[in-house]
Amino acid sequence: MTKGWRIFTSSLRLLALVATLTATIIMVTSHDSAEVLNLTFKAKYSNESAFKYFVIAEAVASGYSLIALFVSSKSLLWRLVVILDVIITILLTSSVSAALAIAHVGKKGNSHAGWLPICGQVPKFCNQVTGSLIAAFIAAIVYLVLILYSLRTVLSPLITV
Amino acid sequence: MAPQDGRKPEVGDFISTPSAKQPKDWVLLLLRLLAFMATASATIVMALNKETKTLVVATIGNNPVKVTLTAKFQHTPAFVFFVIANGMASFHNWLMIVMEIHGHRIDYKGLRLAVIAILDMMTVVLASGGDGAATFMAELGKNGNSHARWNKICDKFDTFCDHGSGALIASFIGLVILLIINVKSITKLIKPNPAGNIGLLP
Repeated sequence: MTKGWRIFTSSLRLLALVATLTATIIMVTSHDSAEVLNLTFKAKYSNESAFKYFVIAEAVASGYSLIALFVSSKSLLWRLVVILDVIITILLTSSVSAALAIAHVGKKGNSHAGWLPICGQVPKFCNQVTGSLIAAFIAAIVYLVLILYSLRTVLSPLITV
Repeated sequence: MAPQDGRKPEVGDFISTPSAKQPKDWVLLLLRLLAFMATASATIVMALNKETKTLVVATIGNNPVKVTLTAKFQHTPAFVFFVIANGMASFHNWLMIVMEIHGHRIDYKGLRLAVIAILDMMTVVLASGGDGAATFMAELGKNGNSHARWNKICDKFDTFCDHGSGALIASFIGLVILLIINVKSITKLIKPNPAGNIGLLP
């Protein structure tokens, strides 16, 4: 466990923490309303269960990133951290793909099901959801790189690659 | 295995000499078989998911106007991704089963366990992405969304929805088993099998 490795993984975790926190905050503060034919059309993240799951998953991932930053690589807990990293990556990818699927329906609609796109009426909401999704995507990729890098440290006492 | 006299690794190192015969891990093999069956059935059920229904839309005079509507899995990109992800996961499981049964001699400088663990991680992440998208798309189809004026479709296409839920449940079971397999592969790396070394130490 060289110092270079330690700095690299810590910075990756910090980046993931910032990305997940950004994604959570932007999604939670996203709301917009529009008046169409005397009907007030309010769009909030809590109207859609996929976005609620997204917010919860990102919040859990950011909390875990914060805690895992302080786990020393010499303690026995780092084996648990390697496995928990995989579980958190699963959580992140599933939340991003769920929110992306619903956002795609919101942006393009689904003509076969008779669902009209809503991004024309509430553009501010759509833009914030897009920004939140980009941040969450970055977090998922960072965690993917992290779990691959953790394997390298497990291997390093064994081979000289 | 690393050559003893420090020369550069050559082609002959690809197939390692069977100095320590690895015992077959029957529990892992059984788990991989279960995961293969779960993901393969999820792929097949969702790929064959199709329902055609004739609905009466309006009545002109005395003649009802009928419209034939089809619900297919290709209509939703979330389900297409679900089929692709589960297809790749079942291919990975099949490949790992074949490697486990027949390919114990194939090893490259002892990296076999590491490559298996890495591939397991990739597969589990991919399968989880497919599951997440399909779950919430199915939930949208089942309950609709009154705020966005999206009507539910499961009341008209109930067979489509039933088959979709079956495929989703199979995929979840496959995901859980894949996660267990991945954890086992990682722990194999962290604590190598003491009965036979993983072929790296002389």
